Amino acid sequence: MRSATKRLTLCAVLAALALALSYLESSFPPLVLPLPGAKLGLANIVTVYALYALGAPYALALVLVRVLLGAMFAGNASALLYSLLGGAAALGVMILLKRSKRLSVYGVSVGGAAAHNCGQVAAAMLTLGNAAPLAYLPALLVVSLFTGAFSGFIAALLFRRLPPDGL
Amino acid sequence: MVTSMNRSPKLKLNRWDALVAAVVLALSLALGAAFWTPTAARSGGLTVVVSVDGVEVDRAALPDYSRGSPHVYEGGGYAVTVQAHDGVVDVTESTCPNHDCQRTPPIKRAGQSIVCLPARVVVALENAYGSDAGFDAIAG
Repeated sequence: MRSATKRLTLCAVLAALALALSYLESSFPPLVLPLPGAKLGLANIVTVYALYALGAPYALALVLVRVLLGAMFAGNASALLYSLLGGAAALGVMILLKRSKRLSVYGVSVGGAAAHNCGQVAAAMLTLGNAAPLAYLPALLVVSLFTGAFSGFIAALLFRRLPPDGL
Repeated sequence: MVTSMNRSPKLKLNRWDALVAAVVLALSLALGAAFWTPTAARSGGLTVVVSVDGVEVDRAALPDYSRGSPHVYEGGGYAVTVQAHDGVVDVTESTCPNHDCQRTPPIKRAGQSIVCLPARVVVALENAYGSDAGFDAIAG
C-alpha cells in the first residue's frame, strides 16, 4: 500500500470500525463476575491489524481517535482516562512485541491485552487515589490470556482474508 | 508517506507466544500471592474504613459499624449502601450503572475491600496492623 491517501483512508475506516466495536462491546455484560472491566477487547483486533497493515504512527492515531470519539459519543468523560491509559499501554507493548520477529499475532495480542488491563488498573488507582485497584490485576491478567488469544485468533482470520500486503 | 514495516505477521501459535503467556501468568500469580495471601492470624479487632474520592469519610470498629448499618455514601453522582452484619461487610445497594459492587462477595478479613469505581467509594477492612494484607475485589 504505497499511497498515503490509501493509508489515511484505511486508517479512517479502521477507526470507524474500532469505534463501532467499542460501542457494541460496551453493551455486553462483564465476562467474569465480580470482575467489571474484563471484556473481550474487540477494538484491539482492529489495533493489531492497523499496527501490521499501517504501522505504529497510524495505529497510535487510530487508538487516539477511538478513545476520544468513544468518550464523546458515550458522554462519559470519566471513562476517558481508563480508555486512554489502557489503549496507550496496549499499543506500546504491542509495538515492542511486534519488533520480535518470532512472535505471532497471538503473542502480540496477548501482550497487548495484558498491558491494556495494567493501564486501566493504573487509571483506577489514579482516579481513586487508592492502591485498592491493584488487587484487581491478578485476575484481570488471567482473563487477558483468554481475551488476548481470542483477539489474536480473530486478527489471524482477518489477516488471512485481508492480507495487509494485498491492500 | 511510505514506510518500511513488517506487514506479514506470523499467524500460527508458537513457543514464543507461549512464553509471553507464561510471563503474563507468572506476573498474575506473583501479584496474586502478594495481595491475596490469607491473613487469618491477624483477623481480630476489625475496623471498617470507607473513603470517597480518595478522602476517608468513615472509620469505625466492625461491631459499632454493624450497629449503625446501613450506611449510605454518595460519590460521582451515585449512592452506595453498605451494610455490616454477622462479621461481614457488604454493599447491598448501589445506584451506579452496572451494580458490580453489589455483586462483589462480602468482605470479612483485614485487607479486603470492595471498590465502586463509578461512585469512587472504597470500603476496606483493617485491623490493628493496618491494611497490608491486600484487597478483595474492585467493582464498578
